[in-house]
Amino acid sequence: MDPITLAVIDNRLRAIVEEMGEAMLRTSYSQILNSSRDFSVALCSAEGALVAQADHIPVHVGALGFAVEAVLARFAEIRPGDVFLLNDPYHGGSHLPDLTIVLPVFAEDGARCFFSVVRAHITDVGGATHGGYNPEATEIWQEGIRIPPIRLGEGGALREDLLAMLCANTRIPRDVRGDLMAMVGAARLGAARLQELLARHGRQGLLAAVAAILDLAEAHARRILASWPDGVYRGEAFLDDDGHGREDIAIRATCTKQGGSLHVDLSESDPQCAGFVNSSYPNMVSAVRMAFAFLLDPEVSKNEGAFRPLSITARPGSVVWAEEGRAVTLCTSHCSNEIVEAIIRALQQACPERAMGGWGRRFRVAIKGRDPRRGRGFVWHLFHARPGGGASSAGDGWNAAGEWHSAGGLKFGSIEMAEVRFPLFFARHEFRPNSGGAGKHRGGLGCELLLRVEAEGPAIANTAGDGARHGSAGIAGGADGLPHRYSILRHDGSERLLRTKEAGVAIAPGESLHILSAGGGGWGPPSERDPAAIAADRREGYVA
Amino acid sequence: MSGGWRIGVDVGGTFTDVIGLDPDGRSHLAKAPTTPEDQSEGVLEGLARLAAAAGLTLAGLLAATRRIVHGTTVATNALLERKGARVAMLTTEGHRDVIEMREGLKPARYDLRMPPPPPLVPRHLRLPVRERLRADGSAEVPLDRASLDAALAAAREAGAEAVAVCFLHAWRDPTHEQAAAAAARAALPAAFVTASHAVLPEIKEFERFSTTVVNAYVGPLVARYLMRLDERLRAAGYAGPLFIILSHGGVAPVEEAAARAVATALSGPAGGVAAAVALAREGLGQELVTFDMGGTSTDIALIAGGEARLGRGREVGGERIALESLDIVTLGAGGGSIAHLGPAGTLQVGPESAGARPGPACYGRGGTRPTVTDANLLLGLLDPDHFLGGAQKLDRAAAEAAMAPLAAALGLTIEQAAEGVRRLVNARMADGVRVATVRRGVDPRAATLLAFGGAAGLHASAVARDLGMRRFAVPLFAAGLSAWGMLLSDLRFEVARSVNAAPEEVDLDALFAALEAEARARMAACHDGPLTLTRSADMRYGEQVFEIPVPLDGCRDAAAVRAAFHARHRALFTYALEEDEVVLVTARVAAIGHLGEVAGRPLPAPPLAPGRRPVLLGGHRRELPVLRFDALPAGTELAGPALLESATTTILLEEGDRARMDPRGWLLVEVGP
Repeated sequence: MDPITLAVIDNRLRAIVEEMGEAMLRTSYSQILNSSRDFSVALCSAEGALVAQADHIPVHVGALGFAVEAVLARFAEIRPGDVFLLNDPYHGGSHLPDLTIVLPVFAEDGARCFFSVVRAHITDVGGATHGGYNPEATEIWQEGIRIPPIRLGEGGALREDLLAMLCANTRIPRDVRGDLMAMVGAARLGAARLQELLARHGRQGLLAAVAAILDLAEAHARRILASWPDGVYRGEAFLDDDGHGREDIAIRATCTKQGGSLHVDLSESDPQCAGFVNSSYPNMVSAVRMAFAFLLDPEVSKNEGAFRPLSITARPGSVVWAEEGRAVTLCTSHCSNEIVEAIIRALQQACPERAMGGWGRRFRVAIKGRDPRRGRGFVWHLFHARPGGGASSAGDGWNAAGEWHSAGGLKFGSIEMAEVRFPLFFARHEFRPNSGGAGKHRGGLGCELLLRVEAEGPAIANTAGDGARHGSAGIAGGADGLPHRYSILRHDGSERLLRTKEAGVAIAPGESLHILSAGGGGWGPPSERDPAAIAADRREGYVA
Repeated sequence: MSGGWRIGVDVGGTFTDVIGLDPDGRSHLAKAPTTPEDQSEGVLEGLARLAAAAGLTLAGLLAATRRIVHGTTVATNALLERKGARVAMLTTEGHRDVIEMREGLKPARYDLRMPPPPPLVPRHLRLPVRERLRADGSAEVPLDRASLDAALAAAREAGAEAVAVCFLHAWRDPTHEQAAAAAARAALPAAFVTASHAVLPEIKEFERFSTTVVNAYVGPLVARYLMRLDERLRAAGYAGPLFIILSHGGVAPVEEAAARAVATALSGPAGGVAAAVALAREGLGQELVTFDMGGTSTDIALIAGGEARLGRGREVGGERIALESLDIVTLGAGGGSIAHLGPAGTLQVGPESAGARPGPACYGRGGTRPTVTDANLLLGLLDPDHFLGGAQKLDRAAAEAAMAPLAAALGLTIEQAAEGVRRLVNARMADGVRVATVRRGVDPRAATLLAFGGAAGLHASAVARDLGMRRFAVPLFAAGLSAWGMLLSDLRFEVARSVNAAPEEVDLDALFAALEAEARARMAACHDGPLTLTRSADMRYGEQVFEIPVPLDGCRDAAAVRAAFHARHRALFTYALEEDEVVLVTARVAAIGHLGEVAGRPLPAPPLAPGRRPVLLGGHRRELPVLRFDALPAGTELAGPALLESATTTILLEEGDRARMDPRGWLLVEVGP
């Protein structure tokens, strides 16, 4: 294969997934997608190998191949015009709110060559609480509707009966229908572009190029691994709690690096929990891949080839690999972030210049209420007040850049737009001084948000998250960042602290949420910080 | 004065190019060194040289000129080199970190070791003002004079040269911003003051604030420069309009460009893209890749289907500018780029450039570090006695002296080092073309590489070969193509109004009639020629947050507007939801003022006896024929290797290249195997 053709195809595949992502962003209905970008798209091979993905949400991406595998396992016959849907974390999904559309792509000769895949976080999938995250759930049936792989469409048309069934199982059917249409539209756009590529290069030519692209990524990843000292490295990280009284739940990683290969063993992690911090299997694999990807060079293509040097073992029934039926909704955030943290802590010994300070943990709030201006209900998810990014050997962390699992990929969206669309008033939204972990390089700052809720009648808040006790990890001698602190300021002047996992907290009209989000972890000993950087921190008010 | 001169002026990093079309449609090109401290000096010098070449005095030429169009790189350079004004940002209390938060987004998802960029306005100069509008435009907190005065005192104390006023919901009601801007003008009379509602009157604070802050950052430099240029032209006898080409490829009167300096961020390269579109129309081909290599930087753009791409929300120097602009890739490398040893001990070229002063070592103006131009001279590819038509003698000994330490460090001979510099810069140029084509999913091999700018001709053949492109073309105007392109651009601006309502709730006739009247009135201030007005609207479904632009010419009623939106949505995204709520967010009228057809042919140069020159290519010393490029009769066919020279550019045809002089004014080269 000549290198120019290969480069053109490689880049064309990336251009296709970027175009699919752009279409999702522009067409989807719910705020979580069109403002905060909580979706991912990918092109997979006929067998489900990840071929190309756009820079969306890292924790989705290593898991998308499982969705294709689940469709292949369920359906013996797959025809042009089929549209598949799933969300079941025990059958190809990661957690219930992430719906995944899988669309087969055929060459002109009828051979199935690819799958076009779109995964998007849907605002409400039923279950006991609005907004998808039920901190009280102890089994998956309390978390929402389970969708094993189903044929949502055939012969190019979607099945209205199934769509109606899905819409009947959510509190916001209009948004869910609009989002599903956007997902199918984006998947079809990807399929159409792939067909153009198949027509131009022929099936053999395109598949040969794809094989070469995966091989190149593998070789690149192995070259980097080979430059680290061989050895066995251990690291651990702790969840605050499971929401049901168990605290300091440990994730333990034993990483064995040998030559161009890395084995990650998570089997010493704590047993599974009562609450939703357990991980599904695909999500656990994806979290390990995410940690690995963060330690490689940014130029390595993040496809199936790049992950070939990586092998994983874990124990069924542990927090990182729950038995079927357990609650898992929080897992794309937690315990994903702690899996990454344990691996980075372990491998900081092998590659301290590559290991980075911890990024913030997720602490979400979903508010349900009634909008007096529009006279209808709303569900709003907190994406503002992002926590800080971790520092690294290259410099300070990014302020307000978010969590490990999204790494600067979740946008909080316009405050002006949020105020137009929701009965909310953002009185204050600025950096939180002193929140970044100290170090030779300082962790990024979290934020302070003062948010007045102006719903008609009491609004109900649910929380889902972690990190009010454990701050983002300091690495290579750096200090941890400050943990989260969220509260409600009551009309009577009192302050009600919010736990990271609770449901049904009422907020009266005119009361405010006061949110102080976590800072990122520092990198390197604080004693080595440049005095000029210390002075600048004070001048700019990053450190008070 | 219908028959007067028309003049295009393109200020590059190294040279200022001036193209004049005389009343008979013949074109004349002059070049002068760019004067970085005050670009208007170089512009006036270029005009004087143009006048001299045409046998006129400067005053005589300017008195006979009816239009000057100018592209400037003042804003671009300030952004790229981070040398803009000291800006104070007045912003809504409690929200001063909007521009540094960047909506929580960080580029390069898998690069977690990328340090954050310093914000254009440091946090201690983002000054809170007590005021707050609600989403419906009502005042939750009235504008507090005491806090405004305190912020202005702090701005003055800090020596702010520019003030950006950025308040939440100013898209809905500009009164607080207007009052604060007026107070800022009174308190800091020397400062450049700009407010977000005037720069980008649209919802979404990050886009609006970032664009406004960039306007403030580059505004003082751009405004000062344009006003000085305007004054100098008037003083020299010019009475006609001065137009500035903007990032979207249209032109605007100088006063407007000075107030919206951010819109000139891509002014420099826009002329080249306009010229490429014109050449595509004349038959050069529908698929072109522009390769505009100057002294300091290289601009690359894709012309697909004969059209240049436009987009909103591009970044220049890492800063978001949410205005419409051409899709141009800029590389920080050109003929003046300095070759040096990188941290790992490997050879690197750029991004530092010798610029116009001191220029390459061989210019003999004090440059002591080796540049790409020095390498080309050492390899025999440039003629030391006839560079710029003999106006600039090249000093081979100075080039050798500059290259010697680098060669020694690399353990190479001076000539080997020069070849290395050339190979490296060729590879960087090819990578830049890949970004503009391959990374956008377009195969460059089917396109023609259009080489222009003074330095491209010596590198085009190697770059095309590297990419597998089969053709490149060099226009006779090569060195002045951007300036020529500026003469082809029309006046263009847009008026818009956000309405945020269903099509049925809007009096469409009245709305568009008002916008058209406003557009006509604004255009009348600077243009009395033919005018085209086009209607469009940004629309979305009720729950979406991104609008799509929908052309609405010919849509007379709400039903037609609705149908046009559904059709556009289906075309872009494969589906429409015809039962759902439709919102018309912003109505727009674009006004294009046609400035008249411009063709223009260069005057043929006197033919010259072909010469020969020894060169070093690929490690081999050989003698190449040297021909006069601008004297080649149409239809002339040539085979490489050969050198073609004009007063302003040199072209290298490599072994196997076959070239033909096209009667329409360009050399078309089939690249050898």
